[in-house]
Amino acid sequence: MSKLMTMKDAVSQFVKSGDTVFISGAQHGAPNAAVAEIARQKIDRLTVITVLVGTNLLIGEGLTDRLITGYMMLDERRSYALQRARALNKFPIIEESSHFGIAMMLYAGYMGIPFMPTRCLVGSDMMKYNGDNLKTIKDPFGGGQVGVVKAVVPDVGIIHVQRCDAEGNAQKWGTLGVDHEGVNASKKVIVTTEKVVDADVIRRDPNRTIIPAFRVSAVVEQPFGAYPGHLAGCYDDPPRAFFAAMLGGQKAYEDYLNDVVYGVKDWNGYLDKLKAANGPDYFDKLKPKISRPSEPIFSGY
Amino acid sequence: MTEQKPNPGYTATDQMVISAAREIKDHDIVYVGVGLPMQAGLLAKNMHAPNATIIIENGIVRANLFPIPMATDTLGSQAFADQLSGLFYVMCLGQAGHISTGFLGAGQVDRFGNVNDTCVGDYRKPIHRWPGSGGGNDIMSFCHRTIIILEQDKRRFLEKVDFNTCPGYFDGKPGRREDVGLPPNTGPTAVITDLGLYGFEDREMVLKSVHAGVGVTLEKVKAETSWDLKVAPDLKDTVPPTAEELRAYRERIVAVRAAFGPPPGR
Repeated sequence: MSKLMTMKDAVSQFVKSGDTVFISGAQHGAPNAAVAEIARQKIDRLTVITVLVGTNLLIGEGLTDRLITGYMMLDERRSYALQRARALNKFPIIEESSHFGIAMMLYAGYMGIPFMPTRCLVGSDMMKYNGDNLKTIKDPFGGGQVGVVKAVVPDVGIIHVQRCDAEGNAQKWGTLGVDHEGVNASKKVIVTTEKVVDADVIRRDPNRTIIPAFRVSAVVEQPFGAYPGHLAGCYDDPPRAFFAAMLGGQKAYEDYLNDVVYGVKDWNGYLDKLKAANGPDYFDKLKPKISRPSEPIFSGY
Repeated sequence: MTEQKPNPGYTATDQMVISAAREIKDHDIVYVGVGLPMQAGLLAKNMHAPNATIIIENGIVRANLFPIPMATDTLGSQAFADQLSGLFYVMCLGQAGHISTGFLGAGQVDRFGNVNDTCVGDYRKPIHRWPGSGGGNDIMSFCHRTIIILEQDKRRFLEKVDFNTCPGYFDGKPGRREDVGLPPNTGPTAVITDLGLYGFEDREMVLKSVHAGVGVTLEKVKAETSWDLKVAPDLKDTVPPTAEELRAYRERIVAVRAAFGPPPGR
């Protein structure tokens, strides 16, 4: 059964006010088009769990009640998104961990177990201030003290991939950050994809499938859905994009908000604006300069 | 050692990055974070450690060379790597004891090697916020040797950090790391700054050498340290960069970084 739908429908049907949302793409291929659509629909009271990606819009627009992260621009004097959230009286509760801590919270959710033991985080002050999620227990097998992180099962996980079939078998390559753990932990999954491909393409390289169709709720074809981030084999960052998302001030924030949310109907409108401003070959210029195919692998019987 | 050399042909930053690169041995398995650690790691691979394996948080494992990236994850740092996986995978490598060397930047470091990457002042009402642990806590928890790199300044070189993001040796008493559940034979082994090089003896930071070539003196180091610093009895001048090291650093690191331009907001 095809799950193809518009971004608007996918977000309105599967992201609800009060949801815990996993946003994939730790530095690589974040679902920025989907995040913009959440902001456009003003879906609020969210708990957001993520590693490093640009969740600025969801914070600055006052849509995030709680942020579970290991690394963010958290200096209020430098982050306009935080200043704006404060002004709206929507400053999120921040639950800080480490990168591995976040990965394990999601991994525990993916495994269907309540917590995961670990040797990181123990003794740190994150344990002190994020005690609802991080604790130390006695190893029941006699190995001394061991840290534990609480499982997170997001209501919805959002991932952007290079290719996916209409039913939702999704394939992503390049670095995967916490994508595998995060989407597989999530109850509902929205896949946004550069390209919808035949199931046959998936089935000739099934090791690459990051989540199978039966776990996926919606498939959205959205070229450049991770712009202004990079996506392996597809496009590079425009100059300075990563830093702008983290450090941009009021003007950068408002410009981006207008570019992707209020000044356009949808993400394709934003892409059209970029082409109008920078020339029709703008996106061609972001293609990798050196691009080589992998050796084919053979399947069959 | 107190002799001034006003124009040695290199800067304190050059010395810091080159000294850090020297800490990486050929065939080391090195976890590098963004910024100075990445510069040091790639410089080493361009010079004396061509067989070192570089591990980057987002899932990159590579023994082959690549141009210094603007951030940790770029198309250039990913492409043609030996292995691309995810954060969970590479951190499991560390947790299971397979990463020999970790490189860590720091907002603050203290006498016993604890690192603060979180905030200045009280956590609930910080005077300044940094982005937080990222992979820092994981590196310091897992790696056999962790090397800390930062620019030295009295406000960042403290008796006790404001927030312990990446525990070193806590209050310096023996067995503290093991008591809280950190793996044995891990922890900080060196601190490298723009003023000097430090090791750890009985879990306390000890000054080993000062960057005399750029005019740094023991007095200057002490002035930028907030506790009564322990100094090695055989305190040395830091070995200055060689012509070959400087050339590699400038061609492979400085020139490539300059092409990125300054980050916005600075």
